[in-house]
Amino acid sequence: MYGTLAISHRALDDLAEIAGRDTVDELRSLARPIEGLRILNLSVTGFGTGTAELLNSSVAFMNDLGLDAHWQVVRASSEIAQIQREMYQGLGGLPVEWTQGKTDAWLRDARMNARLLTETFDVVIVHDPQPLAIRSFVPPSDTRWVMHSHIDLSSAIDAVWMRLREHVEKYDLAIFPSLSFCRPDITIPKRVVPPAIDPTSARNMPLPPDLIENVLRQYGIDPARPIVCQVSPCDAASDLVGVVDAWWRVRETRPGVQLVFVLTTEAADAAGRASYDEIARLCHDEADAFVVSGNEIGNVEVNVFQTAASVVVQKGLRKGFGLWVSDALWKRRPCVVGPAPGLLEQVIDGETGLVAHSSEELASAITRLLEDRATAEKYGENGRRRVAERFLITRYLKDYLGILTELHRTA
Amino acid sequence: MLGSVPTTPKSLETYRPIIGDERTEEIRALGARLRGARVLHVNATAFGGGVAEILGTMVPLMNDIGLDADWQVIKGADEFFQVTKAMHNSLQGMYIDWTPAMREIWTNYNSLNADLFDERYDFVVIHDPQPAAILTFLEERGERHGKWVWRCHIDLTDAQVQVWDLLRPHVARYDAAIFTLPSYVKDDLEGPAIYSVPPAIDPLSPKNADLPRATVDSILERYGVDPKRPMITQISRFDPWKDPLGVIDCYRAVKDQIPDLQLVMIASMASDDPEGWDWYERTVRRAGEDWDIHVLSNLNGVGNIEVNAFQRAARVVVQKSLREGFGLVVSEALWKGRPVVGGNVGGIPLQIVDGETGFLVNTLEECVEKVLLLLNEPARADRMGAAGVEYVRDRFLTTRYLRDYLNIFCQLAGQHDESLPLSPMQRVLR
Repeated sequence: MYGTLAISHRALDDLAEIAGRDTVDELRSLARPIEGLRILNLSVTGFGTGTAELLNSSVAFMNDLGLDAHWQVVRASSEIAQIQREMYQGLGGLPVEWTQGKTDAWLRDARMNARLLTETFDVVIVHDPQPLAIRSFVPPSDTRWVMHSHIDLSSAIDAVWMRLREHVEKYDLAIFPSLSFCRPDITIPKRVVPPAIDPTSARNMPLPPDLIENVLRQYGIDPARPIVCQVSPCDAASDLVGVVDAWWRVRETRPGVQLVFVLTTEAADAAGRASYDEIARLCHDEADAFVVSGNEIGNVEVNVFQTAASVVVQKGLRKGFGLWVSDALWKRRPCVVGPAPGLLEQVIDGETGLVAHSSEELASAITRLLEDRATAEKYGENGRRRVAERFLITRYLKDYLGILTELHRTA
Repeated sequence: MLGSVPTTPKSLETYRPIIGDERTEEIRALGARLRGARVLHVNATAFGGGVAEILGTMVPLMNDIGLDADWQVIKGADEFFQVTKAMHNSLQGMYIDWTPAMREIWTNYNSLNADLFDERYDFVVIHDPQPAAILTFLEERGERHGKWVWRCHIDLTDAQVQVWDLLRPHVARYDAAIFTLPSYVKDDLEGPAIYSVPPAIDPLSPKNADLPRATVDSILERYGVDPKRPMITQISRFDPWKDPLGVIDCYRAVKDQIPDLQLVMIASMASDDPEGWDWYERTVRRAGEDWDIHVLSNLNGVGNIEVNAFQRAARVVVQKSLREGFGLVVSEALWKGRPVVGGNVGGIPLQIVDGETGFLVNTLEECVEKVLLLLNEPARADRMGAAGVEYVRDRFLTTRYLRDYLNIFCQLAGQHDESLPLSPMQRVLR
């Protein structure tokens, strides 16, 4: 058996108020034919990633729908965890030095983990590519295997991707968050299932205005003045320095604007640490720039900062989807994002926000949204609608039920 | 220059309604004596952890009352932080294979950080062992200026001898050393003046500030906890010393009598802590499929405000430690008016007055008995909680901690006299 995780108990009916009774009823009727289906979700970690968050709510709701859904994490020694990190970077297109030794260790680990699959499941869904090779070492059975890659594989470096590819081909189906994250050299059936937010979570629940003001004041932020906010991990791709640069430009005409960085994870590498040092230096003597960081920044705080922001920005992104933007759109916040594929699916330029290709463009987009509140509000409303239509957990569950039904039928 | 950490301005006046005029004025008087003094706090990380949390309040408050305080973090590559992590663990009693290479890495990075140390201060406070040797290198170069204080936040009782022996000659050069509890002080540490000063909580931080009842309830609901049914909670790391399995056993025994009971366990975890992972998993397995047990974690977005809400909503807060550092989470809970049942170890007896603000327990049976007692007598539980608020107000708020620092600075600068009484918690040990 793999590592177990705590799964909360959630009732789908809680979503009825937001997503509609019809939607919930439809999910229930879609789930009925596959009631009791045994599903194992296998991931690298249970914490601190978008994937973990998505699994946390989706597995709970699937159980409420009558499926027998489980979530476990693969075992990895620290040596393997390091190799998995490098593999992840390589798949995201970063240059890594991949050796035969690493492939061998990775395969050894997959063989070991394959032996830990001691229970019987109808469907095993492997999230993220790192544990993919497990499938190759499991004896033949009726179990259907699904790969759900949450990262963009389109620019993966060959040295890493070629090691993975033969294992991918043994799967029954591959799921991607976006068509653009896929690769033409994957020949198994493919489905697109974009990630989704849970509108009933503490991150997205409506908050009383006085709570928002109090929390802002606790962080020294003036609730009466405009706030530009970026919620992101502390990594180089988030381009924190570029955001500071844009903010300086904005202040030339709008001197009262405050800048808030909410850093949700600690810098994981030297580049991340360097960007933290750099913004710490740049913001040190700026009374209106705030760096909110720490392991204890939770969902309610992120909710507060997003809700209070006049403009939410996401300058850049590593190879993920950047679902924080949907959290902000759900709160009717106008967003300005960089041109990363995941972000562009959420923010339609000139409709649910603006797209900026440089610090200059980011600055002028922010200024425009601060000055033209009618447009900002319109984008916010459009954004809310876009999320309601495309990025709610109910849609994600419906997609999954469809895929599971298909796998069940062809089993 | 080292990496300077931006902090949010804070004002002592916002604490006046909480601590009263007398305490506020005492702090102002100390601030007046130290007006303009340049203070530098140095530690290893700006991100997370108790030390960073305390500095985020302490530094701006020092500035507010007239000092010129800054907070900087040391620089280093991965190899350095790996070594300092091992060092930290070994000083807390874990056995580490401490090699000459590790020693060299630690020394080299301290020397490098000494190179970056290019300004003069009246008081330099070095937090924890990571940057402790900077002073040695400055002294060797004839660049030692001002008074140097080593603030040790960890329990050195079971420190690995080899590692402590490396650290000790560096610490011996300091003007003062501050420990959290008198029992943390090593007998063979000679040189600095030695103080004990316990840590404190910030009553105005998001983790401790008041929350409206409706918000508390709706936060609980978002995590699947029923606000209408009784709930107990423990917020801690998951490791053998916090006894998470014992907490579940306690809950089960109590639930036999009070079937409505819910348990919320919030694990504060570090992403790179495999042992924490193992204990997390054991805890989840012990919880099984009891949906009234909620195992949550900071790494899944359960942050300051959530912790605040769960502490406020709990009928009883448990801290069933078998071994503990200071256990400041006890004061956090007491400050929210909740009685705490805590293990009789480490700093917990300093915070819980047995039978008045909660109960000190030594066994699982005692823990079950006291939790049951408090759940069955809600009025008594509330009275104890109210007593806890007053106890913490005087002893474990950040303003008291500030006052202790200022007092120590005054003493080091030879500006101390009878008109500056010590706080109830500061001890001059030798």
